[in-house]
Amino acid sequence: MAEKKNGPTNVLIVGVGGQGVIMVSKVLAMLCQNHGYEVKQSEVHGMAKRGGGVFSHVRFGSSVWSPTIPVGEADVLVALEWAEALRWINYMNPQTGTFIADTQKIVPPFACRVRDRGADAMYSEETPAEIMENVRAGYAMDATSIAEDLGNLKAANTVLLGALSNSLEFSVDAWLEVIRSFVPPKSIDINMEAFAKGREWAQAGPKRVDENAKGRGVSGRDLHKQVETKLEITEEWCKGCDICVKMCPERCLRLNDQLISELHKPDACTGCRMCEWLCPDFAIKITNTPIMEPAE
Amino acid sequence: MKDSVNEAEFQINDYIRLDQMPHFLCPGCGHGIALRALLWAVHELGIDKDKLAVVSGIGCSGRLSAYVDANSFHTTHGRPLAFATGLALARPDLHVIVITGDGDSLAIGGNHLIHACRRNLNMTCMMLNNEIYGMTGGQVSPTTTSNRYTTTTPAGNTEPVFDACALATAAGAGFVGREVTMQVTGLKNLLRDAIAHDGFSFVEVISDCTEIYGRKNDLGVSPEMMLSQKAGMRPEAYRNTVDVPFKPNALECGMLAKNDRPEYGATYRAMVDRIRGKGA
Ligand code: SF4
Ligand code: SF4
Repeated sequence: MAEKKNGPTNVLIVGVGGQGVIMVSKVLAMLCQNHGYEVKQSEVHGMAKRGGGVFSHVRFGSSVWSPTIPVGEADVLVALEWAEALRWINYMNPQTGTFIADTQKIVPPFACRVRDRGADAMYSEETPAEIMENVRAGYAMDATSIAEDLGNLKAANTVLLGALSNSLEFSVDAWLEVIRSFVPPKSIDINMEAFAKGREWAQAGPKRVDENAKGRGVSGRDLHKQVETKLEITEEWCKGCDICVKMCPERCLRLNDQLISELHKPDACTGCRMCEWLCPDFAIKITNTPIMEPAE
Repeated sequence: MKDSVNEAEFQINDYIRLDQMPHFLCPGCGHGIALRALLWAVHELGIDKDKLAVVSGIGCSGRLSAYVDANSFHTTHGRPLAFATGLALARPDLHVIVITGDGDSLAIGGNHLIHACRRNLNMTCMMLNNEIYGMTGGQVSPTTTSNRYTTTTPAGNTEPVFDACALATAAGAGFVGREVTMQVTGLKNLLRDAIAHDGFSFVEVISDCTEIYGRKNDLGVSPEMMLSQKAGMRPEAYRNTVDVPFKPNALECGMLAKNDRPEYGATYRAMVDRIRGKGA
């Protein structure tokens, strides 16, 4: 995208901690600087270590005053994670903006609200195809899988840079030179390939969705098998110490009028075994039997 | 690691003497949780019950050996380490585990502890630290926190406390660690590493005595005591707070020291072989 006559070009790069949002924005900023533009970059990466959101505003042009992009004025939104893409989509200019997103899902802990074993996380439900219908131009690509095929998951951000390179008027050689100076020497070759793959993927047209991209995120069901929990209390052994009652994360036990522990909310029990492990009198026994999925 | 890791699910009832249950410990006593963690660690290491010997002294902790369905040995006050030393030297094929208390091992048996650490003979010592002599009526122990009330310190304890792990480390124990009962899986892993370590392993378990110590000092009942012990694990977060939880000057948890000094049993057997003209 050429520089607009009346202002800087705005690129918003978003993702979660550890994906390389800052690296992408540094590459871009350096590239612009090499071309004689004035560049301002502004980032927030405080939660990066905990997989929290990271974003970086990059603005360049003949003169740039404010370092942050106003809502609805980003010319390109580059998202390294799918939910972050959706979170920031309102920053994109609806008429002229380009949307570039990895369909990879990284499910944040706060999306895991239902505490049953194997529960699905509350991740955004919109599919890449649905989103792409509503944007002017853009690419929903499985950059992480492309990078994985090349042998290094971490090169996913370079794949997206490749896609981004179609939207900005810099030469391929200029891009590669800057990328080379930013990545570790051992991974230069992979990053060069990743850039080429990303660029090629996005050259098909102004809009492209990877139809097969389902998102790579894991759901609770993949991590934990659903189980049926049986909780048995040996009443003769229970001394009514209250430990299980107070320590159960779901608060589903209580002491009855004999001061013996009993399960009063069987539906809330997740089979976490906390009560079994902490009962000093060995009075609780949990048996978790995996529920067999019916054969399809 | 001496034994293969056991994949089968742990069932406590396979490891305790069911005819002895329920055990005699007070409601909410952390010793039961520590015993579960110990047996769980034994289970995970796949140790055969016939190859397990549990030795204990006198006190609330001393009774625990009687509940373990294995070779168990209830000895005199303060001397479980001495008995265990003889046992481990005579029967190197056994996994010797000593269960002792703070009074048992730091006061009356303090010298045995120091020398067991110094010799570095292959056995595991689990010290249950509840800061009190519970069974004998609640007398002050070497680990009772300053200013706490006990039957022998009616105006508050004025003595400084022993840091048992620092003592064991300084005396040369091969493996030293500490954990609170609330972190039961962490405790299990720590005990597992301690048992697998070739040499003398010392694990201090911060346990709670609700009836005799907690009640007298207004520390709450067992869930509150356990939670405050866990909070006390984070000294950086709780130092200098007014509402000091269980243990002011909270102590570090986890594995605190590990070294590969020569194991005494091996050295001893080499000497015997040499004298008998066997070996090199
Ligand atoms: S922890 Fe055990 S002894 Fe205590 S109340 Fe619960 S079941 Fe009873
Ligand atoms: S297993 Fe025990 S602690 Fe966990 S939810 Fe069920 S009752 Fe509560």
